[in-house]
This record gives sequence, structure tokens and C-alpha cells, in this order.
Amino acid sequence: MDHAWIDGQPVQLEAACAEAARLLERSRLPVIAGLGTDVAGARAAIALAQRTGAVVDHMHSEALLHVLDVVRDAGIMTTTPTEARLRADMLLLVGPLPADALPQLLSAKLRERIVIWLCPGGTVFGGKVQAIGRSPDLLPTLLAAARATIAGRPAGPAPVGVKTIRSLGDQLKAARFGVAVWSAAALDPLTIEMLCGLIKDLNVQTRFSGLPLPPGDNALGVLQVCGWMTALPPRTGFARGFAEHDPWRFDARRLVERGEADCVVWISTYDPAPPPWTRDVPTIALTSGGASLPRRPRVLIAVGCPGVDHDAIEYVAAAGTLAWEAAAARRTIIRVSDALDRIAAALPTSVASPC
Amino acid sequence: MLTRITGGRVIDPTAERDEIGDVWLRDGRISAPPPAGTQPDETCDAAGKIVMAGAIDIHSHIAGANVNTARLLLPEWHRASAARPADTPLSNAGWPTFETGCRYATMGFTMVVEPAVAPHYALHAHLELADIPIIDKATLSILGNDDFLLRLLRDKESADAVRDYVAWTIDTTRAIGIKVVNAGGAAAFKANGRQFSLDDAVPDYGVSSRAIVKALQHAVHDLRLPHPLHVHCNNLGLAGNAETALATIAAAEDLPLHLAHLQFYGYGSEGERGFSSAAARVAEAVNRAKNVTVDVGQVMFGPTVTISSDVLRQFNARSQAHPNKWTIFDGDANGWGIVPYEYRANNFYNAVQWAVGLELFLLIDDPTRVFFTTDHPNGAPFTTYPQIFALLMSRDLRAEWIARLPRPAIELTTLPSIRREYSLGEIAAMTRAAPARLFGLKDRGHLGPGAVADIVVYSDDADRAKMFGGAALVFKDGKLVVRDGKVTREQWGRALTVRPGYDHNIDRRLRDYYAERYGLAHDFMRVPEAAISRPEPFEHVPCAR
Ligand SMILES: [Zn+2]
Repeated sequence: MDHAWIDGQPVQLEAACAEAARLLERSRLPVIAGLGTDVAGARAAIALAQRTGAVVDHMHSEALLHVLDVVRDAGIMTTTPTEARLRADMLLLVGPLPADALPQLLSAKLRERIVIWLCPGGTVFGGKVQAIGRSPDLLPTLLAAARATIAGRPAGPAPVGVKTIRSLGDQLKAARFGVAVWSAAALDPLTIEMLCGLIKDLNVQTRFSGLPLPPGDNALGVLQVCGWMTALPPRTGFARGFAEHDPWRFDARRLVERGEADCVVWISTYDPAPPPWTRDVPTIALTSGGASLPRRPRVLIAVGCPGVDHDAIEYVAAAGTLAWEAAAARRTIIRVSDALDRIAAALPTSVASPC
Repeated sequence: MLTRITGGRVIDPTAERDEIGDVWLRDGRISAPPPAGTQPDETCDAAGKIVMAGAIDIHSHIAGANVNTARLLLPEWHRASAARPADTPLSNAGWPTFETGCRYATMGFTMVVEPAVAPHYALHAHLELADIPIIDKATLSILGNDDFLLRLLRDKESADAVRDYVAWTIDTTRAIGIKVVNAGGAAAFKANGRQFSLDDAVPDYGVSSRAIVKALQHAVHDLRLPHPLHVHCNNLGLAGNAETALATIAAAEDLPLHLAHLQFYGYGSEGERGFSSAAARVAEAVNRAKNVTVDVGQVMFGPTVTISSDVLRQFNARSQAHPNKWTIFDGDANGWGIVPYEYRANNFYNAVQWAVGLELFLLIDDPTRVFFTTDHPNGAPFTTYPQIFALLMSRDLRAEWIARLPRPAIELTTLPSIRREYSLGEIAAMTRAAPARLFGLKDRGHLGPGAVADIVVYSDDADRAKMFGGAALVFKDGKLVVRDGKVTREQWGRALTVRPGYDHNIDRRLRDYYAERYGLAHDFMRVPEAAISRPEPFEHVPCAR
């Protein structure tokens, strides 16, 4: 079975890595994007970016930054999935949630638990859930009204009746340990900030916390690696010789669509989704399984899926942290980290590595 | 390869050595002087310089999910470090893993203990530590607010069960010891407790903070772990909390106990503002209790960030956040809180805190029982260490600093009356010999034959801050890694671990517990050697004191 191609022609891995190194070396602004990879892959990608002056961006940076923007503007109170499941006597579900999130959260049999769902959008759930509002567009005003009511301030216009808001406020304040649950991808930063402000306000009298449900493709694992290696999240560039973070400037999609990026390393080992741009750009693709690409990449290397084809460290949502995953169906196939290390080894030595 | 470091003033308190002489090293270890006439392969001239073993920092928050949260909370720290000149306090924070190792090494430190690893986050912590170059590392795993231990104590299970659980945790998370952080306080905070003291009981479990500390202290002792239980007491930072420190020292009852960052517990409630130094009383108690060791957690002025697993305390400190943002994480056990803070020289409370730290350093007689820390970054970034060494070694320098601080604050301390000055021998004892002993590291912290060749050569500069700020030479494992205060070679250290045995019954119990409570395999927190992509990432330290 073939594992590497240049312009669609099968080649030896060494030839593919050498061609990838050549493309990176000639590039004015390379972008390492997708980043759907394990911890080792993320470490190798960031090290390669440091060497080549590239930008690193994760395919779910947008969702990550929704929460992170709130964290670095105001801070946040959060808890673990297990604490929410076992200890929360009130779950406040906010906005649309992935279908598989609820059965998990509600699986523990607690004596008493109130579940309120603000603006569920299209999602429907059969259990004992009080829904308030429907369209997620209403969330900012609904949350603002709830926050004002709790603080004893006059609430502005709310999309639901004053009585509903007042009773919502009373229920939230009566919780002994409430947890608000939302999907990082589904809410915008302003809504998240309002919700997090509400959580902080509630803690003056009682205990309340938040549980943002993370995006997939090991986004949180890659965020952690980026954090310890650079002290910054993804959407970080190294072109000036040090790490610089800018959510707008280093957005891979924008860089490609605007023609600023002239070479892309697209890494996607979990998800077959194609890159989110339409423009043609010389691409080195490291993908696994049936990843679909809109155009034939210059270099394609078939890599393993972490935790399936090979052992890996990834963010495990149920554990709320990085954990070691043994291969579920081990087979001999190159890992992202090995492929990137080989590409780095094929670069001229004049580009020194810091780690 | 045989190397001779020649003609320096060799200060090695373990061997009671302080003389002009040579240090020989071969293949990564210190060797005995070879027969006369033997020619070394390499000679380093240390004439007019000071030669010591590599320093060991026993309590510095350098890695892990909590530290990473602080990094992501404070991107402005990074902006500052990228854009500002290199000598501003923020740029000296040593923020990413790579810089952390390099900055420690240039100061002559060759090992650092990360003291606050929540067991569930052990793999994350070890991954970060493995990306810190040059220095060796070790971790303390946190117990004492976890449901499993609180249940064992509530159900009055045997001391054996607690001991096995402690051993299992250390083994699984590859730690070198156990820390307890505000024992029971985080669990109480989950039940909306807002204050928690030594004899308060954890709601729903009915177990007192004292009972938790005692159970863990005995377990650590019975397991013959080299490092005693590492205690972060209740009531951190509060006026009058010297009583808590004194009560905890008394509770040690002659068994070894280490009290972390004691400066934060050195407060009385005298004066107009009800906040004063009680350092003299606390130091006196430490002097009497020979079983107790402490580290200081010195405060230095400037912006920093507090990173603590004491969520209750961090929540109560949120209004002091500067810049005004903070995070609280209600974890499966302790969790953590991150609160940025700025210590100001013109702030009454901060000036008292600064003085309390120095009083403890200077009033505790035995330099091998008081350890040198700022509780990085809680009292100050570790990059302030050179200035603190200078303050300890010169009463004139202290007087200069005191003159610039608010008089009402200084009047509530004994600092101006203290004439003691640390000698270089005492500095070496405090930062080399004693830390190695505190963690059972027989081949570190000294320059005797067989020791790991972690060696520092400092220029004997009258400006001690300059001297300790950038070593002339640093050898790590016998390799020259720093010259003239600059890293010259990249290499990777190891994480030191202890591996106490346990009855495997606890493994079965924990498997069932985690399957039921978390729906997870109980060893998801384990740290396989293969997970760390470096050769020989771990080094085993034997138990038994
Ligand atoms: Zn600490």
C-alpha cells in the first residue's frame, strides 16, 4: 500500500519529505493548519513552525477563541464533566448542544436535579427539561435580563415574560451547586462573557460553575501544547523570530484566501473534512483514512489516526485532561510527529531548531 | 573524559568543605582526585571564583495544567516579554517551558520541584516538565480534597488503606512526594464553605482538616518516603494566621512535616490596620520543632500571578486581581485558581509581607531547615532569586530597601533590628545540601565523589545579585551547559520519582471506583515511559530515610 505521493504519483516517503522541505524552505509565509493531531504531532508542528517562521492554526481555533477571549478579558469559572454529572443539583443548558452530550451528563441518578435549557434551538430532548426561549439569537438579552434580576437591578427588555425571568433567577439562586453547560462552537464570545458574568455573580451567595463542551480534533490538546511551548494559543506566528499571537492576522483561512500564505501544511488525522478555503495553494497534506481534499496536494503523506492506528496522547473529554490512549487497532503507519520530524530533518541546517 | 575545575573556592557544606581547591569530574559524576601527576582531558580555571553544587529549588510552580491556564489567561505577559527590553520584571518570568529551563540553568539551578500536580493531570505535568531543558525535575502529587481519601477517612478505614492509596497515587503519577493543599478546604468550598480552619469538618464527610493532614503525614512516614508530607496550611494570606501556622506545627507531633511558603502564614493582627508581622513568633516555633522544615515564599515587588490549588483562598482573593481577571476551576479534587497580582513597595500590606519573608529567613537559626523559595510565581517570579540572595547577605542592602518602604509597615516587623547576614556557606547549605537531604537525593547537592556532576562556578562579585544572576560556568551531568550567564548547550534532564510498594487490592478498589464514578479506566492518569519522548526520562530515588 502506498503512503506518500507527489502530484498524485506514489513515491518513497523520503522523497515526499524532501519535497515538503523544499516547498517550506522556498515559502515566504508557510502555514501549518488543521492541526487535527495528537500531542506529539502538535509538538512537532510547533517546532517546525519555529524553524520555518510559519504560522500555526487549528481547524477549531474559532471555537477555542470564543472561550479563550472571555478567559483573557475577564476570567472564567469552570468545572469538570464528572463534577457536573455527580454533584450539580442544577444544570443550566445554554444554546444548542451536541446530541450526545446530554445522556452523558444526566446519566448519574441524583435525588434532585433541575434541568433548565435556555434557547435550545433545534435540539430536542425528551427528559424532564424546562425550556426557556427557543432561538439562540435571544440568548444575549435573555442572559442579560437574568443577570440583572439576580443582581437586583431592573432588567432591560427580555425576550420572555418578566415572570419567567424572575422565576429563572430564583431557581438559579436556589441551586447549591449549579453548572451551566454550553458548546464552545455554538455561542459567540459576547454571549459567553454574559453567561460567565452570571456565573460569577451567582457565586457571591451560592456555588455555580461552567462547563464549556470543547470542539473535537484534539483542539484542547493542541491548545495545551501551544500554551506550554509558546505561552500562547494557536493562531500564532513565528515569522519575526519570536512567537506572536493574533486571532485575525494568523487565521489560516484568511491567510490563504487573501493570498498571503504561499504554502500550507494541512494536518487532519481525525476528521475527513476538507480545509475551509477555496483558493488554490501549494499544499503538503498529512491526513489519515478517507480525508477529502478539494484539490490534489503537491505532497500527500498518509498518516495514522492517533489512538486507533498507534498509541497517542490526546485530550480525553471524559477525563477533562490529556491521557494516554493505546492503539485500538494497531498497524504500521507513519505518525504525524514522525513525518514532521523527517521533513524538519530534510531542511537545510541553517534553520536552527530551538528544541 | 576527566575534567578538573581548579583553583576556586570550593563550598560544599555536606563535606564541611570551604577552601581553595579542585573539583574533579569524570563521565557525568564527581570523582575523587586522581593520583598525583594525572593529566585531565580538560581544565577549567576557577581562580577567584566560587564553586558549589548545582542549586535545587524545592517549590516552584513551573509546569502543568494550572500553570498553562495562567499562561493563557495572561497573554500580556508574553507581549511584554517579546517587545520589552530583557531586564523588565515581566520579561524575566521564564514563561514557556523552554525559557524556564534556560533561565534556571543560567542562575546555577540544576533541579526544580513542581509542587502541585493534581493526580488526574499528572501526564500533562510530566509532558511539560519533559519540555523544560537542562534541569532535573520532580513532582509532588496533591491529595487531601479528593473524594476517595475523604471516604476512606469518613468510613474509618485502616491506616493501611490510606497508605496503599498514597503509594498507588505516587507510583501512578510518578511523583516524588505528596502535598496537601488546604486539607478539606476545596471540598468545603464545593459545599459553599467560605472559610476553613484546622478543626473544621468537611461538609458531607465529617472529617476535619487536622484528621486529613495527620492521616497523610502518617502514611508518608510509614511508606518511608524521603520527603515528609508537604503542607499548604489553611487560612493562607489572612491577618492573624500565624495561629494557624503554630497550630499546624504543634499538630506535627514530632513526626517530620514540611510547611510550604511560610511567609504567607506569618501574619499577626496588630496595628491600626489589624495586619502585622508575627514572623518572630513563628520562627521561634520552627526553631523549637526540629521535626519541621519550611520554605519561605518570599515576596518581591512587581507584577506576578498567583497560581494555587487552594481554590477557596483564590476565590476569596479575586477582588484583588490585577489586572482585573481571574479564573477558578472546581476540579475533581482540589482544582485551582489563577489570580494575577501586583506587589507594590508603597502598599502597606505588601511591605509587611516582604519583611515577614526576610524575618523568617533570618530568624530561623538552622539554614538546613528553612528553604529558599518565592513559591514562584506566587510571591515573585524565580528570576528575582539573585536579588533575594543579596538581601540575605547584606544588612546594609536591606536597610536601603527598608528606607524606601512605608514606615508604619516596617514598624510592625522586627526586620530593622536583625543584623544577621547569610554567609556563602549558609547559602550553599540552604540551596544545595539541605534540599538534597529533604528529598533523599544522596548524589545531589554536594561535591563528594560519586555525586552527579551538577556544578556551578560563580564569579566572586561583591554585587551578589550579579553573581547569582548569571553563573560563570554550569555543568549539568558533567556537561558544560552555561558559560558567562548564557546557555551554551541544550540537553534534557530527568524527572526523579519514588516508587513505594503497595497492596494490589487498592488497585482493584480504584479500578471499580473510577469505572463507577468516572466511567474511565482508573489508570488514565498514568505516565507511561513511552509517553515522554526523551531517552531515560525518569530516575528512581530509593525510599527509606
Ligand atoms: Zn506553591
